[in-house]
Amino acid sequence: MKIAAQDTAKSRRSRSTEAVILFCIGTQTFAIAADAVQEIRSTDSLATAAIEMELAEVPKVRHLVERSHRTYYVVSGCAHFGLRVTRPTLVLILRQIRTAVLVDSIERMADVPKVHALPQAFQGEERQWYRGLIYLEDRVIPVIRPEGFLTPQEFARLDHASKAIEARQEMEGAVPA
Amino acid sequence: MSSAEKHARKSWVLLHVGNRRFALPAESVMELAPPVRLHNFPHTSRLIAGVIVRRGRIVPVYDVAPILCGRESSVHRFYLIAERAFGAVRDVNEPSAIPVSGECELATGEMQPPQENAPAYFAGTLAIENENIDVLDLQELVSAGSNNPSPANQAEARP
Repeated sequence: MKIAAQDTAKSRRSRSTEAVILFCIGTQTFAIAADAVQEIRSTDSLATAAIEMELAEVPKVRHLVERSHRTYYVVSGCAHFGLRVTRPTLVLILRQIRTAVLVDSIERMADVPKVHALPQAFQGEERQWYRGLIYLEDRVIPVIRPEGFLTPQEFARLDHASKAIEARQEMEGAVPA
Repeated sequence: MSSAEKHARKSWVLLHVGNRRFALPAESVMELAPPVRLHNFPHTSRLIAGVIVRRGRIVPVYDVAPILCGRESSVHRFYLIAERAFGAVRDVNEPSAIPVSGECELATGEMQPPQENAPAYFAGTLAIENENIDVLDLQELVSAGSNNPSPANQAEARP
């Protein structure tokens, strides 16, 4: 009985809070659900695995990386949110979505009790960028919508471009030096 | 019933934006909030200066001074929180804040139709103390800011 009661209490607690990772791009802090992030790597550790790509239609993506047989497009957090360009040191590799995000630093993890809906007054791209807002220690912090980094159309363009890169690399590999 | 008739002989909250007085229907005003921290994060919505937190709610702040006065104003330290209607039939309300100087007062009066060629965000005028005070239609006002951006509020992320 005691164990069951503890489980119930634990379950209630876990349902009423959400674990988020607070990260920074420039001077701005953002939050993302902890379970939306698969891996956090330093940019240095991924540098050798990153393949350059430039697509005029999707300027916020300049690299792709292969992880576990999947292609992840690396989105510049600064470019995505229209912030001043910084020198990112970390990459958040997202779960479920083939996106990795360049960020400056991880602030910490936090359990937040409530994600407030983004007010209706916000009618721009931010409705795609954010799931909502949290109020944490006298700060209002936007909570990222992981699927908001790249649209299906952008994914299609990037996939097309990455196939072209792959074909070119195969061709270069086939030609004797 | 026209908007002007509906608001006739009602109570109004008079507020200062820049060096001008405007009025809002008292029924739409929720509170005059003290100077509190203005929080900001990247977004592309025009006119929104950020958000404040009041009574556990996150309230967007509209910087309407450039539209009403043609320039930014630095003297606004208080926030007048009023309801803004959303939706095609204005059936969803959301608290919205306007930075004001803090000198707000309650008045009663009969709203007259707006002056000829007045912008759509003036619902009418009130004659109070030998002054004609424009009555704001908050919905139209913020829509005007969104539709006719000035160089000061171009769509760009505002951290």
